[in-house]
Amino acid sequence: MASETQAHHGDQSHSEHGHFGPEMWVIPEASVLVAEVNEKQRMTPGIWRVIFIAGGVLTVLGIVGFVLKALSDGFSDHQAWGFYIAAFAFVFTLTASAPLAACAFRFTKSHWRRPLSRIAEIFSLVSLVNILLFIPALIVLPDIGVMHESGEQLVRRSIWFQELTNPSGWLMAGMIGLSLCSVAILWVAAMPDMAQSRHHVSGFRATLYGKLAGCWYGTKRQWQVQKGGLAILGALYFMMVVFVQFLIVSDFAMAMIPGWKDSILPPFYTVISFQGGLATILLVAYVMRRWGGYRELIGQAPFWAASKVLLGLTLLHTYHLFAFFITYWYGRLEVEQAILNYLMFDSYLGIFWAQLFFTFFIPFPILVSNHARREGWGAPLAAVFIIIGLMLWHIRIFAAAFAAAPAVEGGLYYLPSDAFSFPALLLPPPEATFPGIADIFMILGGVGIVMLVFRIGMMMLPPLSLWEMKEGSMYQRVDTLIRGRYLVLGKPE
Amino acid sequence: MAMPGILQQLRDVMSPPSTKQAILGLFQDAESAATAGDGLKEAGIPETDYDFLTDSPYPEGSLGEREEKHRLYLYPFIGALLGLSSGIMITAMTQVAYPLMTGGKPILSLPPMAIVCYEGTMLGAILFTVIGIVFESRLPKFQLGIYDERITQGFLGLRVKAEPEQRYEVTQIMNSAGAVDVKTEQ
Repeated sequence: MASETQAHHGDQSHSEHGHFGPEMWVIPEASVLVAEVNEKQRMTPGIWRVIFIAGGVLTVLGIVGFVLKALSDGFSDHQAWGFYIAAFAFVFTLTASAPLAACAFRFTKSHWRRPLSRIAEIFSLVSLVNILLFIPALIVLPDIGVMHESGEQLVRRSIWFQELTNPSGWLMAGMIGLSLCSVAILWVAAMPDMAQSRHHVSGFRATLYGKLAGCWYGTKRQWQVQKGGLAILGALYFMMVVFVQFLIVSDFAMAMIPGWKDSILPPFYTVISFQGGLATILLVAYVMRRWGGYRELIGQAPFWAASKVLLGLTLLHTYHLFAFFITYWYGRLEVEQAILNYLMFDSYLGIFWAQLFFTFFIPFPILVSNHARREGWGAPLAAVFIIIGLMLWHIRIFAAAFAAAPAVEGGLYYLPSDAFSFPALLLPPPEATFPGIADIFMILGGVGIVMLVFRIGMMMLPPLSLWEMKEGSMYQRVDTLIRGRYLVLGKPE
Repeated sequence: MAMPGILQQLRDVMSPPSTKQAILGLFQDAESAATAGDGLKEAGIPETDYDFLTDSPYPEGSLGEREEKHRLYLYPFIGALLGLSSGIMITAMTQVAYPLMTGGKPILSLPPMAIVCYEGTMLGAILFTVIGIVFESRLPKFQLGIYDERITQGFLGLRVKAEPEQRYEVTQIMNSAGAVDVKTEQ
């Protein structure tokens, strides 16, 4: 076997008879990787300027929308803030699970993950923004204990037993813990790269890298602790992200509609979040590869491999959606029928079908197609539809929940007391709520702030995981076997 | 105990300055670096006195280096225990101080307490893991020691702490193993 080590840019991976093309595997030249990535980071192809400006403009629009909403409706009427909650939950869904992709595929020692790891980790910076976005959401979340106009003390059904007030303390603690964990993952994972890059950059980045990398030399002990630390933080992050997702979907959706009790919704939301996170990573990676100047460092293999995972998550999403439906449909309790009618078959019928098309009927055939997966564009294209579909999902669940929630004025529910256990509010199903101009601005602002923060993150930190790619180049070779040329992987553990 | 990492750091800071000098050998390939490591071992330099510096994690034992032991895995357990205890205390004390009967359940009922306890456990574990990484990696030092930028280009460094009288021998071992450069800390 003729071995070619350090096959730069994977040109040798071309096979006339093989099942992968010349750009499938990219094995970077380790000795110039740090300088090369730093050079690419300095260059700003048009796409990055567009993303930065578009992100900035949309963020400003979002702020304008928020101010307009606050001035027109104040914070006491939670029904007015349904679209803000949907926008926040949408941003949270897409970005909170993204760092998990880096941890999960590192756990499974998937070689193809290497170019995607840092992209996934940079989304940790958005988690800091999530904390800020969460504050208004907590302010508008109604208290759990409310005095009814009859003078009776009522307790809104929720997961919190020991609270009468808004459970914002526990919710915020969870969000801060999650952000702390994700930022810690980013810091620990990027530390070796920052330590190496500090010798190649100047100015602000040199100072930043110097401070954040501390005394990283790359000793055996440091690599071991880094590896162990990433494993522990990854496991804790998984446990934490699922928990915070449970809190959000329980408090901001289910607990808002009296009688809505669903054990499938929290895992459904988690699956949606995993699907959205992976879709977002693949979309960003494709933009970096296609227009961002990283074609020589990001091959098609990550898209090829990750598209299969995305396909699995898309199927899981649809399975949970069906499970959500069938449980209530068979249950046939009045409350269950009312919720199905409200969220699926009456008020939000149009949005429900549009979402189903975007999250399943369109991406599924794309992801099933071998050709689309192999060429690298299939998964990102499916990701675009999935992200649009998930935005509609959040509107259908969160905005709808806030719109149907009992109105509270001056701390009083103006409702019969049985509304807390019986779906009086949903019979007949209320009309679907549509976004006003301020709501549309806030949703766009949610998308914009993700773009802006990610772009800033890419400018500040090495956008590719240099140490992982170098490690990968140690274990990957393109070799000839009979007449075909194939990738040979080393598995040291 | 998870504390040895921290204690070791404190001991390093408190102990009188060592007379040992740091010498850095730079190697273009892993084989030469491993040969130099073998040479140092044969010359009686304690294994704890030299370290390989690499730009990516090499497979376990591939350079013939010593086995490193760390106690990072204890930190999250300690943090989780503290967090869990805090969660139990907060929820139990709150419910006893402000008894609120909900849905006919007992005042001290475990399921609602579990949510807060889980959150406390996670927060404690995350916080202590971060602290553990900082101390077990020996990161808090006031200045960067001897290093060479070429390590970022795939070269391997072999950093040795040697007594002044061993300096010549260490340099010789490195040169004979194929070091492209040997530096001494000033």
